[in-house]
Amino acid sequence: MNNRVTLTKTSGNCTIQDLGRIQAQHIGFSVSGAADEFSFKSANKLLSNEMNTPALEVTLGQLTLIAHCDCTFIVTGADCNAKINDKSIDHWKVSRLNNGDTLTLLMPHKGLISYVAFYGGISSKVFYNSASQTKNEKNLGVFEPILATDYTICLTEGCLNNSLASHSLSVDYKRWLNFDDDLILRFIPNKTWEQLQHQSKEKVISQEYQIESNSNRMGYRLSGANAITEKLEQGLSKPVTFGTIQLPPNGQPIILMKERQTIGGYPTIGTVIQVDLFRLSQKRAGQKVKLFPTSIEQAQAQLMAFNQRFT
Amino acid sequence: MSPISIEPISENALLLVWPEKIEVEQHQYILAFQKKLTSDLKEYTKEFVSAYNSLVIYYDFTLISYSSIAQKVLEICHSGLTIDNDLDNEKVIEIPVYYSLESGWDLLNVAKQLKVSVEEVIDMHSNKPYRAYALGFTPGFCYLASVHQRLQLPRLNTPRAKIPKGAVAIAEQQTAIYPNESPGGWHILGQTPIEMYCINQTSGEFEPKVHIGHNIRFKPIDLEEFYDLGGNICYE
Repeated sequence: MNNRVTLTKTSGNCTIQDLGRIQAQHIGFSVSGAADEFSFKSANKLLSNEMNTPALEVTLGQLTLIAHCDCTFIVTGADCNAKINDKSIDHWKVSRLNNGDTLTLLMPHKGLISYVAFYGGISSKVFYNSASQTKNEKNLGVFEPILATDYTICLTEGCLNNSLASHSLSVDYKRWLNFDDDLILRFIPNKTWEQLQHQSKEKVISQEYQIESNSNRMGYRLSGANAITEKLEQGLSKPVTFGTIQLPPNGQPIILMKERQTIGGYPTIGTVIQVDLFRLSQKRAGQKVKLFPTSIEQAQAQLMAFNQRFT
Repeated sequence: MSPISIEPISENALLLVWPEKIEVEQHQYILAFQKKLTSDLKEYTKEFVSAYNSLVIYYDFTLISYSSIAQKVLEICHSGLTIDNDLDNEKVIEIPVYYSLESGWDLLNVAKQLKVSVEEVIDMHSNKPYRAYALGFTPGFCYLASVHQRLQLPRLNTPRAKIPKGAVAIAEQQTAIYPNESPGGWHILGQTPIEMYCINQTSGEFEPKVHIGHNIRFKPIDLEEFYDLGGNICYE
């Protein structure tokens, strides 16, 4: 395969992601997958790729790559002031890299995650129908090794498609992905939530939570002024999902994200709905969020509407 | 053996919970139930994840609503179920363990806390078979139970950032082998030289050494055997 690009600089926070491997959870594999599905799917849609096509997920930019072929690509998500050979390019708009060109992404001013997607995608090792990489599973050798400087990424045979040139997203993405505002995380409450004392529920939904600095692709740790002091039954370890809200003994919630483990032991109070998790994944430490209960029907309707944007 | 609760835990997943106990019969029922759901609800479901007393069903919510699938699950449950013993492997898998003060980082502390000798700790841990109740936490990690009542201790107050690959550890009623280096809060009693999984070179499939429903037993070995089996002690 001659179509490839080489990473000449990376901060170490660059991985290959698609929509994850939901069907390997029974043997303990994290689902993983693109954290911000809005930006990820937008990239694939604008490139006329299948929705599950793997792309580079870059956290806090700081990436440089050199193309060894002509290819069609796009940068979406957090704005990293992307440049081809020192010339700025439009964000959320299909562009072309020529053989020998250098693409540079700087640290974004807002947001956290950007996607660099190529027409036809990245060809990489697939395990349980997914190319997604998971940090904790890197030693297993089932997907591509962690992308370090000088790593060469293979593209597909037909990675150039000039007819897509200048495809770009309408401005509504700005409304969808608002990096600045405080976010209200709607959640599907569970039985433990229903049984909480009124006072504990009030604490959870009335206070502002701050995102802690040790938040990452595995989980977002929140801290609020009023910890939940009510003692919750620990119970036996049970399967957890995308968005599970754990309440460990310190009374401060943890929201499980894409690289979560499959089974957890902490008490849980519900699950943040997916469309809000995509937004949360773009929030940085120090930003504020609130929690508010919704229903499973609302959650499904929201996700259905979200997915329809990309069909 | 109907579940005591059924609830949505994601747009595309529902959780079934049985009474909070680690018990062979209940677990066999959950596995048999999972098997039946796998075939009866094939058109809607994508993945099943089970643990001691729980089962999560991932389904395609564009094909069926939450209330309809919950209804179907309950109907299947009420239609009765025969426990399929084929799911249980009668043979006991032996896991060799080098129990010692250098390989078992917490061995001495566990003995002290329980006010018994190190030899008694090793004996209590290795003289009974365990059942594999769940796979999870990290690939190849198997939750085994139940450890001797006198050997039960809560998790470490502060989890370690690194537990070595092959560590054999206990926490409350559970015991497990760490298939790879990872963080963890369990008490380490020894180390095993054997791999807890392999990746089939032709099919690319991940094959855990222990599957859910299997029975295992820990066999104490000496340092020489540990080295013969390819072991490499990891010191704290």
